Amino acid sequence: MALIDVVNLSKAFGPKVVLSNVNLQVQEGESLVVLGGSGTGKTVLLRNIMGLLTPDSGHVAIEGKIIAQLSRKELFKVRQSIGMCFQMAALFDSMTVFENVAFGLRRHLEITEDEVQARVEECLSLVGMKGTDKLKPAELSGGMKRRVGFARAIALKPKILLFDEPTTGLDPVMTDVIGRVILDLKHELGVTTITITHDLKSAFEIADRIALLFRGECIACEPPAAFKVNPHPVIQQFLRGDADGPFLQDPPPPKRRTQEAHP
Amino acid sequence: MVLTFIDKTGASVLSALDTAGDFATLAGRTFAAIFKRPFDGKNLLNQFQAVGVHSLPVVILTSVAVSMVFAVQLAFGFRQFQAEGLASQVEGLAIVRELGPVITGLMLSGRIGSAMAAELGTMQVTEQIDALECLATDPIHYLFVPRFLAAIVVVPLLTVVSIYVGFWGGYMILVGVEGQSAYVYGHEFYKLLAFRDLRIALYKAFVFGMIISLVGCWRGYRTQGGAEGVGNAPTSSVVTSSLWILISDFFLTKLLLV
Ligand SMILES: Nc1ncnc2c1ncn2[C@@H]1O[C@H](COP(=O)(O)OP(=O)(O)OP(=O)(O)O)[C@@H](O)[C@H]1O
Ligand SMILES: [Mg+2]
Repeated sequence: MALIDVVNLSKAFGPKVVLSNVNLQVQEGESLVVLGGSGTGKTVLLRNIMGLLTPDSGHVAIEGKIIAQLSRKELFKVRQSIGMCFQMAALFDSMTVFENVAFGLRRHLEITEDEVQARVEECLSLVGMKGTDKLKPAELSGGMKRRVGFARAIALKPKILLFDEPTTGLDPVMTDVIGRVILDLKHELGVTTITITHDLKSAFEIADRIALLFRGECIACEPPAAFKVNPHPVIQQFLRGDADGPFLQDPPPPKRRTQEAHP
Repeated sequence: MVLTFIDKTGASVLSALDTAGDFATLAGRTFAAIFKRPFDGKNLLNQFQAVGVHSLPVVILTSVAVSMVFAVQLAFGFRQFQAEGLASQVEGLAIVRELGPVITGLMLSGRIGSAMAAELGTMQVTEQIDALECLATDPIHYLFVPRFLAAIVVVPLLTVVSIYVGFWGGYMILVGVEGQSAYVYGHEFYKLLAFRDLRIALYKAFVFGMIISLVGCWRGYRTQGGAEGVGNAPTSSVVTSSLWILISDFFLTKLLLV
């Protein structure tokens, strides 16, 4: 049985259909990367998995428990085993970096303050944020906030990690570091992850399977090697990063020739 | 024409019921969450600090001002019947029964209710409340309960302060300016009052504390739509809670003053 099971999931906001009939299965210990154009509903997908949104039809099941049917108490129990890293970090801005990362530890684990301290420092140094623990989120840059959000998500050592663009806005070196941390978590702790990213390089590094969302549907979900050679025109255009093709609804502005073509 | 009218009325009645139901649900969840674990003492202390200590100056200043104005009016009014002696009795009655709790309630709805709405509203639009949910923490338990507890303790306490300060406000005018005897003022102030009146004042303050915190948190929690939404949350919380303070004041007075 799949650890995360998304079945025929549909979600619309008013007349705007964001997801229609999405099916995804993530096995235990697997790392799924979700790709897709901006505004295709990747974040909405994660929020449905987390139970922050209720599906219009279909369901999400985690370890066989259907999220939308759980009581609040059971839902919080399930959420304790999931870590989520928000696209905009969503740090608690009245708390320091340390308190942010320590939040889940203090609330859910009965451990001493020294152990909390040790774990927080460990998480912060993983993402290269050592020594920032006394700062408030307002004193951090966008990329730093994102890394603290990442540290907060992994602090409780959850079984499942959901990353919403953990590397967007980070420099290439830091992006690689985050990719390595995700791989380490997977190999050392057997964590199951769903990562949304726009960075193809790290996507191919960390993925066991890659899914592509296009106009609310999941048009492919396969291992990186197969994904690369998938003949679907949308996938090929996405991989090339080219504006011309079936990907966009409206035709892009024409390409300007900057250099005369050589004969 | 008639149908659209009925349609519209029906729709607005339904949406009003919806709003009331939503408030009732959240209030109910707050009551249910009070005794849930874990108990977060630090958070509660912070709220006492924010709600209580920092509201003290506002409550003192407004109570002094209102009690002084009221004393001036009473002294002037009763002088017309050569009944200046009644001024201090009526001053005491008015301050303990009405002005103390209501002024405190209204000022605190502006001071702490709006702050709660703005704080929770900002947390809502910046996804911090979603982050709480994801960290398996019930926002009702973590955000509503400490604010609620702080308010139902602090509003009655500040009402007592307001009554005490009101006594001295009246003293300044009636004794200081009007030249009544200090001994007589001190005696007459309590003449029309029984201990029951203080108790009623505290009941009222308790209810006002509930209204202020629940409405403030509710408006904040239900904030939508970015900066504009965050701007609207405190305004609507102050208007709603002031209204309910005045309405409930009427009914509490009718009910308790039999
Ligand atoms: N709360 C909401 N109310 C109404 N519409 C929404 C809401 N949340 C998302 N949407 C709509 O759903 C669509 C998908 O949004 P989503 O945030 O999932 O995009 P995304 O795939 O994460 O994009 P990006 O890569 O830019 O983060 C968007 O078109 C957005 O307008
Ligand atoms: Mg997104």
